[in-house]
Amino acid sequence: MYKTSIRGKLIEGDKSLSQISHEILAPIDAKTPRWWYIAMTVSLAMFGWGLYCKYITITQGIGTWGVNNTIGWGWAIINFVWWIGIGHAGTAFSIFLLILRQKWRTAINRAAEAMTVVAVFCASLFPLLHMGRPWLFFFIFPYPNTRGPLWVNFNSPLFWDFVAISAYMLISASFWYFGMVPDFATIRDTTKSKVKKAVYGFFAFGWTGSSKEWLRFEGLSFVLGGIAAVLVVSVHSIVSTDFAVSVEPGWHTTIFPPYFVVGAIFSGFAMVLTLVTLMRKLYKMNDFITDSHVDAVCRILVFISLIMGTAYLTEIFMAWYSGSQYEMYTFFQNRITGEYAFQFWAMFVFNALMPQLFWFKSVRKRLWIVFIISILINVGMWYERFNIVITSLSKNYLPANWASYSPSIIEIGFFVGTLGMFAAGVLLFFRYIPMIAVSEIKSVAKFNNEIQPTQHHE
Amino acid sequence: MTGVFDNEFDLVKAFEKVKASGVQIEEVYTPYPIHEILEGMGKKTRITHAAFFYGLFGALAVLGGMYYAAVISWPLNFGGKPFNTFPSFLVVTIVATILIITLATLFTFSARAQIFPGKAAKIADPRATDNKFVIVINSETPEFEATSLEKLLKENGASEVY
Repeated sequence: MYKTSIRGKLIEGDKSLSQISHEILAPIDAKTPRWWYIAMTVSLAMFGWGLYCKYITITQGIGTWGVNNTIGWGWAIINFVWWIGIGHAGTAFSIFLLILRQKWRTAINRAAEAMTVVAVFCASLFPLLHMGRPWLFFFIFPYPNTRGPLWVNFNSPLFWDFVAISAYMLISASFWYFGMVPDFATIRDTTKSKVKKAVYGFFAFGWTGSSKEWLRFEGLSFVLGGIAAVLVVSVHSIVSTDFAVSVEPGWHTTIFPPYFVVGAIFSGFAMVLTLVTLMRKLYKMNDFITDSHVDAVCRILVFISLIMGTAYLTEIFMAWYSGSQYEMYTFFQNRITGEYAFQFWAMFVFNALMPQLFWFKSVRKRLWIVFIISILINVGMWYERFNIVITSLSKNYLPANWASYSPSIIEIGFFVGTLGMFAAGVLLFFRYIPMIAVSEIKSVAKFNNEIQPTQHHE
Repeated sequence: MTGVFDNEFDLVKAFEKVKASGVQIEEVYTPYPIHEILEGMGKKTRITHAAFFYGLFGALAVLGGMYYAAVISWPLNFGGKPFNTFPSFLVVTIVATILIITLATLFTFSARAQIFPGKAAKIADPRATDNKFVIVINSETPEFEATSLEKLLKENGASEVY
C-alpha cells in the first residue's frame, strides 16, 4: 500500500479525473510547438546521414568500417549492446515495479516502454548490417532449407542473441501497445477533431471500458508482466554470452550475465531520467512526474551505481586472483593503464563515482544537475561497452595479432543516424501518443480530494 | 436504464445495492479497473490458465524442434560433443516460450474481450473512458421497477440517471 503521508503525493494539485485526462492529452490536441519542428529537423538530418552510411555499408561492404581482422567488432557491436541496454529500462521499469507494487511507476512507465521499443529497434540494425550481407539475414532462421538441410547451430550465442532480440522487440512492442488501448479510447471519446476521432478510434480497437474488457485486460497484464520479468533478465544475459562463451581474456568470466543485466538497467534508468526531465521541462508534466518521482529514480541509480562499481572492482580483483597472465595483462596494462586508459577511467568515473552525487538531496532536487548526470551515465555506459569490446580484442594471446582500432566516418555516421532515429521516435511519441498512462494515473488518483464520495443527507 | 457516477466509491455502493435488489446489471463501464466491480459482476477469466498451457506446449514444441533438427534431421559432430546438448537448448527454449506465451495470450485476449483492429466501439456513454462511472441495468428482468430503481441510484450518489 502506498502511504501518501510518508512518500508524498503521487499526483500534485488535487485533480479531478477529467482534469487528468485533459492535461495529459493536451499536447496531442495542441498546436505543434516550434521547438518540436526544430528538434525534428535536426533528428531527421542525423537520421538521413545514418541512412547514407547504411547505403555505403550495404553497397560497398564492411571494408568501409574501421574494423580489421583482429578487431572484428567495432562500433557496431558497442552500439548494439548500448542500445539494447537502454532498451532494457522500459520493461524493467514496468515489470519490476509492477511486481513490487510500486504505484509511482504509473507516471513513467509509458515513456520508459516507448523508449524501449525505439531503442531495441535501433539496436537491431547493428548486428543486421554487421552481417555483411544483410539481405541474407533470413539464413539465421531455423527452417528446413535447400542448403543441406543445414540447420542453424543451436549452441551458438549469436543464434540465442537473434532469438532474444527479436522476441524482446515483439514482446515489448505488444506490451506497450496494449497498455495504450484504453488511452486511445479516451482520446477517441474526448477529442473534438473528426480526423483524430477516426484515427485514434481505429487504434483503440473498439475499447469501451466495460467490466468484461477490464477483467481480461487485468489478466493479460498479469501474464505479460510475469513472463516479461524473466525476459528482462534473460535477454541481456544472452547478450553477455556473446562475449562470455568465447575464450578472449577479459570476456571469459562468469560475472558477465549479472554485470550486463545490471549495467543495462542502469543505462536504461538513466535514459528514463533524461526523458522524464524533458517531459517536465517541455510539457510541464510536473504534477504527474513529481519531484518525488525524480527523487526515486535517482535513489535507484545510486544503488545500481554501487553494484556497477563493485562489478568493476570484482573484475579487476579476479584478473589478479586468477593468476592468468593474459587476464592480468588485459586489465592492468590494456585497461587501467595503456592505450585505452582514457576509456576505462571515463567508464569508471561516469558510472561508479559520479552517480554517488545522488546521495545528496541538494543534487537530487536540482533538475539540471540530474539531467546532466543522467546523460553522462549513458556516456559512461557507452565507454563501458567500448572497454569490453575493443580492449579485449585488440591485444589477446598472440602479440603478432595485436592491432589498434579507430572508427571510420561511416561507422560514426551509422551511430549518429540511430541517435537521430531515437530522437525522432521520442519526438513522435511526445506529439501523438499520451506520454503518461492516463487510465493508470486515474486508478491511483482516488486519494485526491476532488474525487471523494458524494455526501447525501436526507 | 443507465446510471452515471462521478467516483468509484459511489459506484461500488450503488452497484452492491442494485445487485442485492435482484435486478440484472448488464454492464459497468469505468475509466480504470475497479476490483469490487470485476468480482461483483461474477465473471471469471481463465486467461492465466490458457497462458500456462501455451507455455507448456510451447516449451515442448521448441525443445522438440531443436531435438529433431540437431539429433534426427541433421546431426553435426562438434568436437565429439553429444548431439542432444540439452542444457544449451534451454536458452532458446526459455526465450522462444516467452514469445509464444505473449503472442498466444494476446490473441486470446483479443478474441475473448472482443478487442481487435477495425472493431466499432459500442459506446454506452462516451464519458466512461474519461471521468464517469457508468452502470447499465437490464430493464427486461421481472424485478425491474423504474421509479424505485432511479431513486436507489440517486440516493447512492448517481449524478445522472437516464
